[in-house]
Amino acid sequence: MENIKTAQVYKQMLKWQLIATISVAVIAYILAESMGVVSGEHVAVSALAGGMSAVLGGLAGAMIARNGDKKNNAGSILITMLKAEAVKILVIVLLLFLTFKLYNEHLVPIALILGLAASAILSGAAFIGLDKK
Amino acid sequence: MEAVQYLATIQAYTGIGIGLIIGLGAAGACIGIGIMCASFLEGAARQPEMIPALQGKVFLLLGLIDASFIIGVGLAMMFAFANPLLSVVPH
Repeated sequence: MENIKTAQVYKQMLKWQLIATISVAVIAYILAESMGVVSGEHVAVSALAGGMSAVLGGLAGAMIARNGDKKNNAGSILITMLKAEAVKILVIVLLLFLTFKLYNEHLVPIALILGLAASAILSGAAFIGLDKK
Repeated sequence: MEAVQYLATIQAYTGIGIGLIIGLGAAGACIGIGIMCASFLEGAARQPEMIPALQGKVFLLLGLIDASFIIGVGLAMMFAFANPLLSVVPH
């Protein structure tokens, strides 16, 4: 039996994660510019870096999980999903590490955490799109 | 000398905090994933025709369960690489 839902889940997750990341970056930019404490560009780039690490991690996991679509055995599907999750976490940790190492001078850690949190939590909002279909 | 001692103390306690953030987060995520996978296997055994429909939702829930762990990892990395607590120590 072909699973047509999985591709929809990936698309919905990606859509919600991108919306969350860009929203947080724009709001953080506006707040930082209005307060004038830190540069708005650095805040926005930090929020984008946090959100995009979750987005790219999700994409890497989705590529691995897509292989599980052809399998009908529940055990094999679960193993593929867990592999995908492991790859996702590794990619996110690697990207966060690179961000902290390479963008250390101008990084605004709170913005990065906010972007990451919004992106990670709002990926669950993909349920809304699935329920409509 | 006093500032160095303060720095060492803050770094030591931060290290313990980082370990707790990652360790407890990983434990919670593992328990959640274990419960979800058990439910998925049970559902698949009862109604094998539901496996394709459940597969996408399992992946989505995996991401949700891991969200708190990922946020914890981000916080831990912030404390490891850009610790804001170190700024209270006078240079």
